[in-house]
Amino acid sequence: MKLYSLSILFKGPTKANLLKAAYDLSSFSFFQRSSVQEFMTFTSALIVERTTQGSRASVKEQEYLCHVYVRNDNLGAVVIADTEYPQRVCFTLLDKVLEEFSRQVDSIDWPSGNPETINYKALDIHLSKYQNPREADAMTKVQAELDETKIILHNTMESLLERGEKLDDLVSKSEHLGNQSKAFYKTARKQNSCCEVM
Amino acid sequence: MAESEEEVDVLVQRVVKDITNAFKRNPNIDEIGVIPCPEARYNRSPIVLVENKLGVESWCVKFLLPYVHNKLLLYRQRKHWLDREALVDITCTLLLLNPDFTTAWNVRKELLQCGVLNPEKDLYLGKLALTKFPKSPETWIHRRWVLQQILRQFSAVGHGTKQQQQLHQGEAEPADAERSQQLSDHLAGTLRQEMKVCSDAASRYPSNYNAWSHRIWVLQHMAKGNIKVLHDELSSMRLWVSMHVSDHSGFHYRQFLLSELITGVSQSPSCTAATTAATSSHHQQSSTVPIGSPHHHSHVQANGEPQGAEVAGEEERQLSFTTVLLLFHEEMELCSDLIQSFPGHETLWSHRRHVFYLWHSMRRESHHHCSTNGSIESVHLKDSDPVLPEAGDQSCAGHEESVNGQRHASEPMEVDGASLADSRDSKRLKRGVLLPSPPTLPSEHSFVSSILDRCSNPEQRRFALAYKKWLDTVIGQQP
Repeated sequence: MKLYSLSILFKGPTKANLLKAAYDLSSFSFFQRSSVQEFMTFTSALIVERTTQGSRASVKEQEYLCHVYVRNDNLGAVVIADTEYPQRVCFTLLDKVLEEFSRQVDSIDWPSGNPETINYKALDIHLSKYQNPREADAMTKVQAELDETKIILHNTMESLLERGEKLDDLVSKSEHLGNQSKAFYKTARKQNSCCEVM
Repeated sequence: MAESEEEVDVLVQRVVKDITNAFKRNPNIDEIGVIPCPEARYNRSPIVLVENKLGVESWCVKFLLPYVHNKLLLYRQRKHWLDREALVDITCTLLLLNPDFTTAWNVRKELLQCGVLNPEKDLYLGKLALTKFPKSPETWIHRRWVLQQILRQFSAVGHGTKQQQQLHQGEAEPADAERSQQLSDHLAGTLRQEMKVCSDAASRYPSNYNAWSHRIWVLQHMAKGNIKVLHDELSSMRLWVSMHVSDHSGFHYRQFLLSELITGVSQSPSCTAATTAATSSHHQQSSTVPIGSPHHHSHVQANGEPQGAEVAGEEERQLSFTTVLLLFHEEMELCSDLIQSFPGHETLWSHRRHVFYLWHSMRRESHHHCSTNGSIESVHLKDSDPVLPEAGDQSCAGHEESVNGQRHASEPMEVDGASLADSRDSKRLKRGVLLPSPPTLPSEHSFVSSILDRCSNPEQRRFALAYKKWLDTVIGQQP
């Protein structure tokens, strides 16, 4: 079980604004890491944009699960994990991180902030501590804390999209993705996603 | 660019050379990969070296691969001559791009046999290929071939030393001893490296059957009967399986370790110690096989004095039974813990089945032995006597007691009433010694009920019910 990324975003009227992010890409091959990171940012932003305030959702994409929580004050967080990682622990982590973040960072800075200007350092620590869900002591928490039936489940990224919208178009328009990542996406797409180039 | 045949020729030769030079420049390259890059940039080599990682830009692969592929095939068909150095370079490039190309590995086998390549170099190439293609069957197969070459070398030298030792009536020459020590260190190093290669490949690709079965092969051939290695593997795998609860291959490896350990612990020193000198001389012969296990030697020496050996055998037998009991107990505890912490993974439930079945059949076997040979029964009963060697884990012991209490209440339900556990319990009560309780049919049933009572996860319930059904139909039906 593995956590790949943990990011905090502000859900603006049209798009989500990345405030801070932490990544653990050690399990990806070296030359893919930068592209993978860009894709994780792109995906996290897209998911926050498509999630309504005050709701929790899990989106399945290939062998990954993206868990999102957007609070009523428009502050949202996304954790990208593999399918083995317990969902409940992910939502505990999201609650905790958002709570801590909103205490430390003034809400005036949320709409316009970016990873360079926001002063919140705990994300990397949380990400590495939660790699082993049992050490993160979230396992012992009472199950009732979170009503799992209220979590919306999407089986693909596509189900987040609006009518007529295509993921390919969003990828090619995205500002989160560099040329190399777009090329990476195209090849992966052509090869039926799972296996990369060659 | 590079459209005409000549241009391709020049380009490819340059790239092959670049790859060779990269390895010369940096002998510590530990990963290979392809960099997504649809178009070539002028005056830049498509080979990139960053922080010990070797990358090939994707645009050149479509020129490179067919070219080296054809070149090697033409050489194989004797239509095109390549010198040894060129062969080494071309097969290296080819295998890094496509490690499942058997012909290329075969060419390297020949190069290895005539001494152009050394085994370590090929193990290294395979290791790199596995960073990009962690499952590649041909790479694993070639790896085993190379390891066999190393083993053969080792046993040839080991045998030579042995004969000399016999000539000198046991007075081994210091130089020889040093040499064989070097060799066994080398072999231990190779073993460690193989374990590392397997771990890396298993982490890169989930349920990587090829990697795990290679790991089993390595243990069977390079650490045969070496209980220490098996123990180390079992404990070092603990965290890994806890973090990969749906990786069936990883758990299968654990099952292998467990059954090897059981055979090893119950068969090695103890059982053989009581046997006659004839079998012990047989052992001496078999110990020329390069296993590097200190057990055998000490045991053979112990055999010199029959009476002492018998006493030692008795003690060892008691110890071995406790060890086996502890192994099973710990494995079942681990399994329960993981099932409770990570609900809904079938892998964990099938692991439970396997471990319980292993224990169950072992117990049936010992029952069978008891009816044919009464003495073993008494030995086993005595086995519960020794104060637990390293069961100092108080919390664990306390927990056992409670489980034990539960089990005790349901004991009469057990079909095979006269179980070993029963008498052990009474012994324990008398002496106040805490031995872990072995898993039994009732204790398994109460585990399933506890899961069903508490858990609402539909998958988990389904697996629990299936396990219960299996207990009833498979285990319950057996005498």
